[in-house]
Amino acid sequence: MDFFIEKMTTHRHLKKIGLFLSLFCCLLVPLYTSAQTNKQEIVTGKVTDVNGEPLTGVSVLLKNSQIGTSTDNDGNFSLLIPTREGVLEFSYMGFQKQEQPVTSGEPANIQMIADQEALSEVVVVGYGTQTKASITGAVSSIQSEDIVRTPAVSATSALVGKIPGITSRTTDSRPGNGTNLQIRNLGAPLYVIDGVPYSMNDQTTAFGLNSGVSGQNMFNNLGIEDIESITVLKDASAAVYGLRASNGVVLVTTKKGRKNEQASINLTSYYGLQNFTRFPRVANAGQYVRGLLESVQNLGGDPSLLYSPEELANWEAGTEKGYKTYDYYDIVTRKNVPQAYISLNTSGGTERSNYYFAVSHVNQDAILKDFNFNRTNLQANLSTNIANGLTLGAQVSGRIEDRHNVGVPGLDDYFNPLLSIFSMWPTESPYANDNPNYVHQTHNVNVNPATYTDNITGYVDEITRAMNVNINAQYDFNFGLTVKGLYSYNYTNQDFDGFEYTYKAYRYNEATDTYEDRDPSSGALYGNQNPWREKHKRNVVSNFAQIQLNYEKQFGDHFISGVAAYERSENENSYLAIHSVPPNNYVPLMNFSTQDYLADEWAIEARAGYVGRINYNYKQRYLVELLGRYDGSFLYHGDQRWGFFPGVSLGWRLSDESFMKNMTEGILDDLKLRASYGETGSELGLGDPPAMFSYIGGYNFNQGSAVLDGNYIIGLRPRGLPITNLSWVTNKTLNFGIDFTLFEQKLTGQFDVFERRRSGLPAPKYDVLLPAEVGYTLPVDNLNSDGTRGMDGAIGYTNRIGELDYSIGVNATIGRLRSLETYKPRFGNAWEEYRYSVEDRWANVNWGYEVVGQFQSQDEIDHHSVNNDGQGNRSQLPGDLIYKDVNGDGIINDMDERPIGYAQGALPYFNYGINGSFSIKRFTLSFDFSGGGMQSFFRNWELKYPFQNNGNLIEYFASDHWHRVDPYNPNSEWVAGTYPAFRKDVNNHNNFRKSSFWLTNVRYFRLRNLELAYSLPTRIIEKVGLKNVRIFANGTNLFSIDNVKDFGIDPEISSENGLIYPQQKLYNFGINVSL
Amino acid sequence: MFHYKNSKMKNIVGIATLFCMIALLFSSCKKDWLERTPKDIILEEQVWNDPVMITGLLANYYDRFPTETGLEGNFRNAANYADAMWSGYSGEDWRNNIINYGFESWRYWDYGLIRDINLALESIEAYGEDLSDIEKAEFSAELRFQRAFIYFEMVKRMGGVPLVTSQLIYDYSGDPSALQLPRAKESEIYDFIASEVDAIKDQLGNSDSHTRANKYTALALKSRAMLYAGSLAKYNNQMGNPVQTANGEVGIPASLADDYYRKSLEASLEIINSGVYSLYQNNPEPGANFQELFLSKADNPEVIFAKDFLSEKNKRHGFTYENIVRSVREDNLASSGITPGLGLVESYEYLDGSNGKLKIRNSDNSDFIYYDDPADLFANKDGRLYGTVIYPGSTFKGLEIEIQAGVMVWNASTNAYQTIEGSALGSNHTDGDLLTSAAGPHRSIQEVSNTGFYLKKYVDIGAGTSTRGILSDVWWVWFRLGEIYLNAAEAAFELGQANAVDYVNVLRERAGFGSNSLSNLTLERIRNERRVELAFEDHRLWDLKRWRTAHSVWNGNASNEQAMIYALYPYRVIRPSDPARDGKYVFVKMQAPRFRAPRFFRVENYYSSIAQEVRNNNPKITPNPGH
Repeated sequence: MDFFIEKMTTHRHLKKIGLFLSLFCCLLVPLYTSAQTNKQEIVTGKVTDVNGEPLTGVSVLLKNSQIGTSTDNDGNFSLLIPTREGVLEFSYMGFQKQEQPVTSGEPANIQMIADQEALSEVVVVGYGTQTKASITGAVSSIQSEDIVRTPAVSATSALVGKIPGITSRTTDSRPGNGTNLQIRNLGAPLYVIDGVPYSMNDQTTAFGLNSGVSGQNMFNNLGIEDIESITVLKDASAAVYGLRASNGVVLVTTKKGRKNEQASINLTSYYGLQNFTRFPRVANAGQYVRGLLESVQNLGGDPSLLYSPEELANWEAGTEKGYKTYDYYDIVTRKNVPQAYISLNTSGGTERSNYYFAVSHVNQDAILKDFNFNRTNLQANLSTNIANGLTLGAQVSGRIEDRHNVGVPGLDDYFNPLLSIFSMWPTESPYANDNPNYVHQTHNVNVNPATYTDNITGYVDEITRAMNVNINAQYDFNFGLTVKGLYSYNYTNQDFDGFEYTYKAYRYNEATDTYEDRDPSSGALYGNQNPWREKHKRNVVSNFAQIQLNYEKQFGDHFISGVAAYERSENENSYLAIHSVPPNNYVPLMNFSTQDYLADEWAIEARAGYVGRINYNYKQRYLVELLGRYDGSFLYHGDQRWGFFPGVSLGWRLSDESFMKNMTEGILDDLKLRASYGETGSELGLGDPPAMFSYIGGYNFNQGSAVLDGNYIIGLRPRGLPITNLSWVTNKTLNFGIDFTLFEQKLTGQFDVFERRRSGLPAPKYDVLLPAEVGYTLPVDNLNSDGTRGMDGAIGYTNRIGELDYSIGVNATIGRLRSLETYKPRFGNAWEEYRYSVEDRWANVNWGYEVVGQFQSQDEIDHHSVNNDGQGNRSQLPGDLIYKDVNGDGIINDMDERPIGYAQGALPYFNYGINGSFSIKRFTLSFDFSGGGMQSFFRNWELKYPFQNNGNLIEYFASDHWHRVDPYNPNSEWVAGTYPAFRKDVNNHNNFRKSSFWLTNVRYFRLRNLELAYSLPTRIIEKVGLKNVRIFANGTNLFSIDNVKDFGIDPEISSENGLIYPQQKLYNFGINVSL
Repeated sequence: MFHYKNSKMKNIVGIATLFCMIALLFSSCKKDWLERTPKDIILEEQVWNDPVMITGLLANYYDRFPTETGLEGNFRNAANYADAMWSGYSGEDWRNNIINYGFESWRYWDYGLIRDINLALESIEAYGEDLSDIEKAEFSAELRFQRAFIYFEMVKRMGGVPLVTSQLIYDYSGDPSALQLPRAKESEIYDFIASEVDAIKDQLGNSDSHTRANKYTALALKSRAMLYAGSLAKYNNQMGNPVQTANGEVGIPASLADDYYRKSLEASLEIINSGVYSLYQNNPEPGANFQELFLSKADNPEVIFAKDFLSEKNKRHGFTYENIVRSVREDNLASSGITPGLGLVESYEYLDGSNGKLKIRNSDNSDFIYYDDPADLFANKDGRLYGTVIYPGSTFKGLEIEIQAGVMVWNASTNAYQTIEGSALGSNHTDGDLLTSAAGPHRSIQEVSNTGFYLKKYVDIGAGTSTRGILSDVWWVWFRLGEIYLNAAEAAFELGQANAVDYVNVLRERAGFGSNSLSNLTLERIRNERRVELAFEDHRLWDLKRWRTAHSVWNGNASNEQAMIYALYPYRVIRPSDPARDGKYVFVKMQAPRFRAPRFFRVENYYSSIAQEVRNNNPKITPNPGH
């Protein structure tokens, strides 16, 4: 009831205003009778979307004038216009611009049509923005709503499968981790956030934590709701970023308020439950014991020494006391672990100022108990026009990341808990006598998961506190010139605080019913007697300053714009670590007397560059862009410091030509051909991260110290020859592309082919053969070349059938590195050339043996004509792998290796995504599939060696391998299986050579995201003063179709032993509220 | 705040504000933004007049001295070619399964260090203006000692190497052929070592030092190097096909043998007769004394030259963490890495001078010999066994180390014992008594002895030293007087001098044998003395090589006991029907279960192959025989 009253009131208000204005006009009429044609008129109207939902904040402008307003909460507007004639322009982000002539006395009601691919859409590019129509480079972008659809903690994970040109692999998904992303498989890209490029030094510490200084890290830890758009520069368009742009550039823009926007408040929150997608399972006690016996049998020993037949029967039955089986996967991992997120932001603006404020918090528990990641983000973006033409702005953001790990002895705390799944024997219990008060002294208590809790083994906290302040000023001259200044200061602090306790462990003595904490004979204590306390502090300060001139002017049909800029950056990273041997488990404060280690490290980066770009187009039909950058890096010797990186790109909007227009009317909306060539640099050849000051000779202080006469003498080591000749690696990128829009903008597409050639890859000049006896090596020169070739593209279709709006998009990327030319290759013989040449060959080809079968019997082994194991087949048993004797010389050796796979651990050469959404009435179903191929996974260690590390068997070994029927009878029949017969600890057996048996060329297709959302009807929520309420449920990684399912691993991991935190299957429920 | 008269005024203020900001941004202009100053690089001019800096360089060079089986990371190599095998982490089990030694084994070609030493020698001379003549002379002599030491390390592995005694400087002309030096003769490198020692021994300072070179350190190097040269000259030429090259890069003429032996003996005697050093005899109990010899740094008159460590300055190593007895390890990982084999244990003689073979079977081999206490088997043996090896029932850190593989249960119906071993360590048998002890041995579990023995030499007894948090700072002995006695004995014996036996008897007396326990010496005796005295001191491989016995001792034949590692597993007897045997201990000798391939040293292994890269870069480098 209130609703109607309010509506009526509003209406009455309008009427009142109208009446007032009418009266006012009437009063004025006599005064201005001579100006009949200038008669003023009030136009009113309502703007809705195609579903009739009102749109708030739509800009309404009288064409060719400064008169305008925007719609209110109900989509209504009223505008006083000086004449009865004119055309109103309606524009709104994400919708097609519309025009409607003023019809006197009639309300101008209008339905806006969503238009994501509109040509007028503005895309952020390097040092400015361009409309989609005028872009000539290979550029892809993605907007906020498509980013947040994936409930990802890290921004990189939200991009997977959504942008053409991006390849990805999620190799380690521990809480807080992102995805490895590359643009066109070129290498790690440069991240530029709100115009500021950040460091590319993306190192992970030995503790598995990011050192927190890189652009990728900053990007990953942005508040995900704070991102307005992301643009990927893939070709010459990146050259404007010069020396670090060779692998492409990711441009990130955070949200801003809009002018004259009513304040809106948005709340998003979700709660989800996580489970591992996949993790290899292990054998039960019966399988494990039988496997051990078989191993002894296969090695010619006496299995009954290990377990008697009665014991085997008991273990296999698992019912007798003392013969219980333990499943350490279930013991180590938890199910349905929560992940939660809340974000609150407000944005708005007045005539002169706009603002965006946000705060968000994400909390992710690990599937391992007591491990957690949480992060709080703050963002405030302000801009104000303080004087005519002068705008000042600030973007201030802060974040606190908190990673809490259990203090597991060893470096990476996530490693041991996962290792314990494989290493613990299923025959031993985590607690002595199953009594949870007593940690069991198992065969290796270091991997007993009962110890992995904060209160037993201790903790590691890593807290990152980061603050970023950008201040910018802009002055617009009234003749098309703009001057901008930008200063950015970033301060990141990391505190690492680890305390690993000593703890006791016990064995249960059944005879005395006591729990013994030490070996009864030697008195050696059980448990862990290795206390450890360590603190690290890292401070990273980044400075960036830029001055930029922009010019933009339309001269009739000629449009010209230009950018000139100078900028420089600095990044200083200091690190301090101290370690002590704490005297007890209680006092976390360290003191000098127990301290025994201190590290003090420092690193710097400094760069500067001059940037220029000119754009020209004729009638938006012929487009030209020229760009260049003169760039310098601190890494090189004074003479080699600076480099020039030019680029050019051309576009032809074929669809604008009259001959095309006639032919394709109603079919082709837009067709653009693009070509680009650009040069960029990369800082290779000095290591990763690049070594500082390699151009300086002298002596390294504190290297290789010795104790002389009882005193510690700090060592001094002569440095090698200074590297004064090395400079950039030059990258030349060539790209041809096509953009098209068809069928009244229903079908849009983009397709690019590219090649990036790198020349000047650092390598030693080996025709200047410096004898090893001189004791130093010649510095590397810029000599070799390679190329990455590939293509990427996307196609999207949007339509409406009756009440159903739908859109579907497909994108794919293929990119692969090819070595082109090396400096004077030289081979000893034809075989060496075949095996080791990289001349004009795909890079990172995986070589190995081809397995052609398995021995079926001892008889087959005895009559096998090829020496399969190099020992006359003495070591072979039925089930062992038979290698192909490729060269037919009767012996298997490295001459029989052939290409069997792609790169290992690298990103897949081929990635694709399918995204879509279906909306009907208030329901929307959206999905994102992603897939990949042309990557290789080599099973090794636990996944290859039975009982690796003296641990358990992986389940697939246990249930499917060659063995004799009776482990106690060496003459019993063989039973066939997939895997060879067990021989524990014989890891150099020829079964384990790198072969097609253990190497898998992985393909996968997975449902990365599925979301169902429902928007509550406006008429209901308006009653409680809300603008929009949307509830949603989504699922992440619900299924995967791939060829590694039998190994129990997620298809994207690269860890050869499977010992890595895989991706999660996440079920999620959430709500967005706007008011 | 302000009222602007017009918009033009506003513009001017605006522009002014903007440019002020920009000026501010760049006002802190450094001279050159890209020119930065490093924080840990010392420049040339800061080094050569500062004795502290020069000592820092010496420290770096000492730290780079190589070992094949030292206390740091490469100690594991002792499992490949010392009298031991690998019982640690199973990922290293390949060490027990080496089908043959690769030709690149024990390769060493560190001309980086030679260059650094030459650079220091020349720079001190050229720039060291503020140094006194004595300082200059002492530093130069010490650097030359280091260089001679490195050449010895190279020649014993590679044969003759290019003799580079000054910096080789490339002029960037594109033609470095002038820098290509051929290999010197093997004998020339040994001669260089001798002449360098002679030239510097009286210039060296550091007279009280155990960690920097003094006169006697140099003489010890000469003693060892000349002994190697002498034996190479003699025994290589006794082979059917001597290992040699036409130009003598490998192969020393037999005629030079005596001269080298003489030089070795002279150097040894100069040390022995100087009275500066004496054998370590601080503990009256010979076994414990021998153990202490390696652990005691203070008041140790025997050690001539050592690589020292210092825990409080974080200069330490994980040798104890990796090798301590499983049952007394203080950390919950590692332990038991290098475990001595039965062959070594049996090479320690009984104190009555009889053969060290252990008495485990009765005379007609029809039954075990039954012991009341496992330690009884090892009674009355050479004290050096106790100081080197932990065997069943011996003590370590004051604890008796229980080592028991399982039980032998008498089965009356089959008239034989049934062997039962635990699947876990520290387990009890159904009779309530010990089945498999916490220290094993065990046939398959990792990080527990596979041989039935553990290492004692060099393993720290300090509290916490086997934890990763504390680690050990036991030092590594490069030269000690004990070796010098053995060098003297061998050289004197080879020279036919009758008093050779005296030098051996000195050591045997310290080991618990009576005085003058040997009256005459044989080659075999001398060699066995080196095996037992110098075990795990990085001698065994080099000794077998220079005697040219390596290819016959490690002949790749599984039936050759010397090529295999044997284990000795103790069992408790359960035989209630026979009180004389019940509860007693018996021992079973077997090939160590985790040891899978007999050691196979090929004649081509006497010299390491020279890296292809080295030969590519210098065509004058000729390969070693057979490579």
